[in-house]
Amino acid sequence: MKKALYFVLTLAMTLSFVACGSKGNETKGNDDKKEGGKKVALLVSGAVNDQGWNQTAYEGAKKACEKYNCELAYSENLGTADIAAAFTDYAAAGYDVVIGHGFEFGDPALEVAEIYPDVKFICTEADASAENVASYVMACEQTAYVEGIIAATMSKSGKVGAIGPIQGDSLVKIVNGFEDGAKSVNPDLVVESAWTNSFVDTQLAQEAAKAMIEDGVDVIKHCANACGNGAMSAAVEAGIWCQGDSYDQSSLAPKNILDSALYNLDVVMDIALGDAMNGSFKGEVYNLGMSDGAVEVKISDNVSEEAKAAAQDAIDKIISGELNVVRDYTIRN
Amino acid sequence: MLSEILTIGFLTAFLSAAVRLAVPLIYGGLGETIAEKTGILNIGMEGVMLSGAFFSFAGAWFSSNLFVGLLCGMLGGLAVSLLHGFLSIFLAKDQSVSGLALNMFMLGVTSFLYKLMSTGQDYQQIDTFQTMAIPVLSKIPLIGEAFFNRDILTYMLYVLLILTWLFYKKTNYGLSFAAIGEHPRAAASAGIPVHKYQWISMIFNGILGGIGGAYLVLVQLGVFTENMISGRGYIALATVILGRYTPFGMFGAAILFGAANALQIRLQTIGIAISPFLLAILPYAITLIAMIGSIGKNTKPEALSEPYIKGAR
Repeated sequence: MKKALYFVLTLAMTLSFVACGSKGNETKGNDDKKEGGKKVALLVSGAVNDQGWNQTAYEGAKKACEKYNCELAYSENLGTADIAAAFTDYAAAGYDVVIGHGFEFGDPALEVAEIYPDVKFICTEADASAENVASYVMACEQTAYVEGIIAATMSKSGKVGAIGPIQGDSLVKIVNGFEDGAKSVNPDLVVESAWTNSFVDTQLAQEAAKAMIEDGVDVIKHCANACGNGAMSAAVEAGIWCQGDSYDQSSLAPKNILDSALYNLDVVMDIALGDAMNGSFKGEVYNLGMSDGAVEVKISDNVSEEAKAAAQDAIDKIISGELNVVRDYTIRN
Repeated sequence: MLSEILTIGFLTAFLSAAVRLAVPLIYGGLGETIAEKTGILNIGMEGVMLSGAFFSFAGAWFSSNLFVGLLCGMLGGLAVSLLHGFLSIFLAKDQSVSGLALNMFMLGVTSFLYKLMSTGQDYQQIDTFQTMAIPVLSKIPLIGEAFFNRDILTYMLYVLLILTWLFYKKTNYGLSFAAIGEHPRAAASAGIPVHKYQWISMIFNGILGGIGGAYLVLVQLGVFTENMISGRGYIALATVILGRYTPFGMFGAAILFGAANALQIRLQTIGIAISPFLLAILPYAITLIAMIGSIGKNTKPEALSEPYIKGAR
């Protein structure tokens, strides 16, 4: 009986992996077939209709492809192990540009790029560069820095908090940028932080926020994707300020929200594909910030005039290059 | 650092958080205890709770009534457990496979339905059940705030725990239900309707698990997010084993788990310099250590997860 059970379980798991794998490598698309245009492929780790990270990338790439008159194909739900194979497939099939959307696409792109020197590889949020590999990173630390300034100016208790999901590079830089921004206003300010170690554990994010609130925190910034909703609901219940992430989250907490950090992937896709199409492609890691329109802070009417002015001042300085926000990937505590 | 932790204010708040984190586990664990007592292992508790969470949210959202939401959550959980019952009681299929399949199935179903529901909409949220302090009891230092300044679902849970305990300890029916989990054939020969009682226990399994998921939405958060149970269903299974298949043992195990989780998130906020990765392991490590401590005292129902087929040998 036990042996039979193990066998069935093993079989079920194997089958599900095979199922995922084959689904992942499936090629869909040819949405915008144009004669004579270049061929572009987009690889994403989730579904292209996920109303978030992947959908915005897909829509951005689609828009950019229309603009530059090229043909777009895409592969979705790619597991980390399938990435190199997907890059190879498209490169071998004669695509001119292959885009990998996310940090995890960086290393496989470098590997495959050596074999196909004529294909251009583009990665978002990655740290990879070579002759024919370029990465475009969004400067989320800039928006976080401005949010830190707003939080520090609005806080009366002298304690603010930041809640993140998993300590990945692109999330650590947000929490660190927030802390730097807050301390630039008031060096004595206490910045608490907590990580839920999950993108989906909404109740734990709420508990983290409650723990901070009981400790006297009166502004909470989250960058915890969907589970950040829990942090916002704790802020609403306690009547303190909160700051949203990724989308305009003001409808979740109309009376409590100070601002939301917005990441404009369509701008990133437009810049990246534009470079590849008009011949200005260089194998570098590009930092796309506020001056490119890739990231922005949407400030709500709850913010005081004083904080608004301070934030606007910082935004102007970041855009003009006068203020350079440090990108720090080290985990602080 | 210790002086920061060992204040009455911190401990009171910490205990409240432990109870908040434990309540969904206790609901799930109670449902699972009842099922396992009659020999049905429902690994699909994660799916039951997720279904309860989603349907309670959908019900409350469309009706603007929290009690309708609660009812929908119960029915959502019930549907999953009945499906498990159909596979494991009626068809006598392997219960582990059925349970695992249901977890993955419900993750897909709830995510899909939630997307349908939220497409093109702003963020959707609902009001939540308010807390109601019980006079006198809620004024007890330390535990009063944590246990007696709560919401209707938590109070209902206390009553259910006592009733379940009485049922198994003091009634003949309770003995009959427990006998099925130990030796269904012997129970059948004593005239106990095995399958009927197993179906009844699956009904309780679904309703209680459904409330466990609904608690997160209707009491704590007021929003639904994809995969929001995030492993609580599996932890509920662990609390049953840890609690040696008794309602109050399970209750204690769930509080322990809630406390470990509340502690790790609190230590992070006050800046204890331990890697959050290590802190996040804390609840699971405590579970493992507690399980090692209960080695050799096997209280598992003898016939757990063995399908009973009438008249077969």
